[in-house]
Amino acid sequence: MSEGATRRGGPFRERLPEIVVGLAVIALPFALPPIGGTLDLAQRILDWGLFGLGFDILFGFTGLLAFGQAAFFGAGGFTAAYLLTAPYTENAVLALAAGTVVGAVLGLIIGLLSLRRSGIYFAMLTLAFGEMAYFLEISPLAKWTGGENGIAGVPTPTLGFGLFTLNLETPDDVYWLLAVLFFLGFWLARRIIRSPLGLVLRAIRDNETRASAVGHDVQKYKLTAFVIAAAYAGLAGGLLGLLQGYMPPDAFYLDTSGQLVVQTVIGGAGTLVGPAIGAAVWLYLYTALQQVADIGSLWKMFLGAIFVVLVTVLRGGIGGGFVLLWRRVRGARKEGSLDAPMTAPVGQAPATTMPVDRRRARRDGPVVLSATELTKRYSGLLAVDRVSFELMDGEIRAVIGPNGAGKSTFFNMLAGVVPPTSGDVHFKGDRLTGLGVAVVCQRGLAKSFQINQLFGTLSVRENVLIAALARHLGKFRLSLLRNVLRISDLARLVDETLAAVQLSDRAGTPVSNLAYGEKRRLEIGLALATRPQVLLLDEPMAGMSPNERTDTVRLLKRIAEGISIVIVEHDMDVIFELADRITVLYNGGKIAEGTPEQIQADPHVRAAYLGSPVAHEPARG
Amino acid sequence: MNWPLLFAQVFNGLTLGALLVLVAMGLTIIFGALGVVNFAHGSFYALGAYAGVVAYKYSGSFLLAMVSGAVVLLVVGVIIERGLIRLYYNRPKEDQILVTFGVAIVVVEAIRAHFGGLAQHLPVPSWGEGAVNLGLTYYPTYRIEVLGIVACALVALYLVLFRTKIGLIVRAGIEDPLIVNILGINVTRTFLTVFGLGTMAAGFAGVINGPIVTVTPDMGADVLVQSFVVIVIGGVGSFWGALVGGLIAGEILSLTAMVQPAYSQVMLFAAMAVVLILRPQGLFGVQGRQ
Amino acid sequence: MCVPHISGARWRMSLLEVEGINAYYGDAHTLFDVSLHVEQHEVVALLGRNGAGKTTTLKTIMGVMAPKRGAIRFGGQPIQGLPPYEIARRGIQLVPDERRILGGLTVEENLVLAGLAAERRWPLERVWEVFPRLAERRGNRGRDLSGGEQQMLAIARALVREPQLILLDEPFEGLAPIIVQDLLGVCRALAKEGRTIVIVEQNVHAALSLAQRCYVLNNGHLVYEGTPASLHLDPDLMHRYLGV
Repeated sequence: MSEGATRRGGPFRERLPEIVVGLAVIALPFALPPIGGTLDLAQRILDWGLFGLGFDILFGFTGLLAFGQAAFFGAGGFTAAYLLTAPYTENAVLALAAGTVVGAVLGLIIGLLSLRRSGIYFAMLTLAFGEMAYFLEISPLAKWTGGENGIAGVPTPTLGFGLFTLNLETPDDVYWLLAVLFFLGFWLARRIIRSPLGLVLRAIRDNETRASAVGHDVQKYKLTAFVIAAAYAGLAGGLLGLLQGYMPPDAFYLDTSGQLVVQTVIGGAGTLVGPAIGAAVWLYLYTALQQVADIGSLWKMFLGAIFVVLVTVLRGGIGGGFVLLWRRVRGARKEGSLDAPMTAPVGQAPATTMPVDRRRARRDGPVVLSATELTKRYSGLLAVDRVSFELMDGEIRAVIGPNGAGKSTFFNMLAGVVPPTSGDVHFKGDRLTGLGVAVVCQRGLAKSFQINQLFGTLSVRENVLIAALARHLGKFRLSLLRNVLRISDLARLVDETLAAVQLSDRAGTPVSNLAYGEKRRLEIGLALATRPQVLLLDEPMAGMSPNERTDTVRLLKRIAEGISIVIVEHDMDVIFELADRITVLYNGGKIAEGTPEQIQADPHVRAAYLGSPVAHEPARG
Repeated sequence: MNWPLLFAQVFNGLTLGALLVLVAMGLTIIFGALGVVNFAHGSFYALGAYAGVVAYKYSGSFLLAMVSGAVVLLVVGVIIERGLIRLYYNRPKEDQILVTFGVAIVVVEAIRAHFGGLAQHLPVPSWGEGAVNLGLTYYPTYRIEVLGIVACALVALYLVLFRTKIGLIVRAGIEDPLIVNILGINVTRTFLTVFGLGTMAAGFAGVINGPIVTVTPDMGADVLVQSFVVIVIGGVGSFWGALVGGLIAGEILSLTAMVQPAYSQVMLFAAMAVVLILRPQGLFGVQGRQ
Repeated sequence: MCVPHISGARWRMSLLEVEGINAYYGDAHTLFDVSLHVEQHEVVALLGRNGAGKTTTLKTIMGVMAPKRGAIRFGGQPIQGLPPYEIARRGIQLVPDERRILGGLTVEENLVLAGLAAERRWPLERVWEVFPRLAERRGNRGRDLSGGEQQMLAIARALVREPQLILLDEPFEGLAPIIVQDLLGVCRALAKEGRTIVIVEQNVHAALSLAQRCYVLNNGHLVYEGTPASLHLDPDLMHRYLGV
């Protein structure tokens, strides 16, 4: 159940969540009556739980807060109810399947529109589209939906499986239908979370910028999560009609979307079962408190207050609280127990390095990366002025210049982060200009950031895995069912990368527990794991102590075997030790380019740095 | 073409739009200055209406009801900002949405618990009774007066923002709170003012809309969504965006209702979708201020 | 508690005393045990390449960032950890890099804003006297000013509050040489008036032409303290830490 579980424990350990959930759904109808619950309550808990499985994938695991899930819940529900009451079919399986599909398709449409914005705007958009769906149900489509009356007379389910049919006549039967579907839904959701797609979704939640920078098409993955959530919603909606015998218009209410969100947060987002737990709390309090005379009508207000307190103080909800308790009880996790043991101590070169793809050729190999007259203009300000640049295969090139020289902008144009106003970037002959950072990384040009951009809630191993996954999957692949930890090529690549940056013995550690120097190494490791031919390093020495600098220089020298590097830095000692050649920018233009010795002797460079009143022309070099 | 009906609907659109402007104005200054999306804004609107109902019941004065709506919400806004919202300035946006959503539930349910779910009555004031001859049609006097009241409120807000010292601080704080801090001004106190002003605008809108719509605990839900649409259309943090966006929204709702009532809300959302596709920052928004 | 600074036989309390501060950006260590002092009426230059920690030092003094270890005293009173508005009230003003004037407000509004929370403030007339160029543009919005005018506004804004200590962060960056000369003139006038200034600059020659003393930072460490003259006498050092 813990979403950070990447350990490959025994088969029992792995299946533990499914077993627990299976037992729970079996026990539920027996556990409730003694405390005043009914079978109807149990059914609704599972229905909301199913609805929430998809939503948790979207919100808890991808980080997208959507306020309009009722649109898909209602759409699926009314589709199923309509088909069964029209009647177009007697087979509830077909009706539910149709509802699920309709939910998913609507999710695709609304997702395409809403995901054009992110964060708050995305939430507001989903809210608005949810409302739109409600108004459509009430009036324009009333002929089919019954308007404010909904659709009554939904028959007890008859499940047709081709060869045989199953008539579910009693409420007990219906409960077992819900139990089976919830269990299957949970099993599927867990598989999705542990799949490559699931890992990418979690990467997006933690650090969307980095997920994109290592080569994932973030928009497509977000859309996939949205559609999955909508499909689950559609199924849950259809089931609501079946368990009530009636499909109500309040399935489309804003209240319904809101209730889903509140339940998920109360139960714990990112646990998959959080929504079900939250539903149990919400619905139980609703039924139980109703009986209490004085506070009967206040149950929702109390729930709202509890919600506010939880969000403020215990953001992980009930599920999150359990996870914290669990971790404290079990003590410190044994780190890296299943990972390759590291024999060499930190600071010394390990036995193996990154596999050498090519012999290193300094300064006289073929050109691997070139910029032609690269220019960037921001309304009125010329940040980079027609800078051209050629990087040889195997070279280490430093880009330096005083403040405001345009280094970062130039660097970001190379990396695909910023599209140039004019000029081109070519990589091994292919034009990369304006293709965006994910494509650029896929082609073999990876960057590391000045400020660590890591996936904060995940472990070191998972971080590297996300980067390695990008080349494996390409920009986007619908890989929902494989277990991402079982892909052997990837595991090997991850191990190699960890060894190259000397983090093998920290593989299981959560990123938040790493020391700053280790985080910096991981930062470089993420770029390395994408198997780049050119590595763009943005101030890799930022924030490092003198010792850490020495270590990092050694590290960079090692990984430079076989790849070309462009490094933006201010630490001149480091640059002079590492660089084959140096390009100097000043006021947006290139004023010098050459070996470290040539640059040191160049009077224009001196003037640029020290600010002598000597006027100088940007040199074409 | 039914000219009198069209004329009346255009005016309805203005009235509706004017109230949306007021509500959206409050929402946008909170959003612009604090960066907080206030999902409780609709509930504050409802609370204002109820404050007005109570004040009217005890005093018989609509004027007092209007003042109550504003003052009660000013106080509520200050309490909530000091007690809760300021804990969230450094937390992710999703958490801010969640907590204000929770506040909305608490406020609405508290109203429901105390007043019940049936509609309350806030009558049109004596100076608003009857109808005015607008040439093409007769039009309810009160609605014309609402236009006037909102216009005055907006002028007052404009004067506060653009002609007073506190308004200068608020506008500076929307742009660059750190600089305001460096200039010796405790900028978090400004946040308090902004939040208070914003909720006050919502509450005031609630009272003056009371006689026109039914006063129920859930009256704020539609308004919340509509004011979000206004902000998206007009652009966040922009005074003129809220103004123009609100009037456009009002007219869309009103004119569509004339032609095809079932679709009026849907048209509004469609307009929002169009703006999002063609000009994501809104009509008056500044690109990049996300 | 005063921290006396012994110079010759006299005891003198430094206006600003920075002692062993360590600053972090997240968990990146950006300043390592930096110590410096500024006397009243002095102009002190803080030099170094970008990334050396100069801006971080000024931000830490102004309270924009809080140091994790170390102490800062102004007029004998500890100020580390105080919020910027509190430090401003004690008499320090920061002219930030990138100027950060309020683009949506007019020149006049920018200046009025600066004076709102000041005990003693310059009347606008005085600002127009010292900065006639700003007087011409008083009704223009900040974003419509040129780079040089914006820098002038940023300096004027700081002066309105009559600060005892002015921190200038890269005032000449991104400006044409002619404008730099103009601004140098303004700064020289301020220095002549006896104002206490700390100037952070990458333009070493410009900074040294103003300063009586200078410090050099490299990779977050203080590596040199002395006078412009002695710095000029050591070209190796200059190139090592300031050039290439």
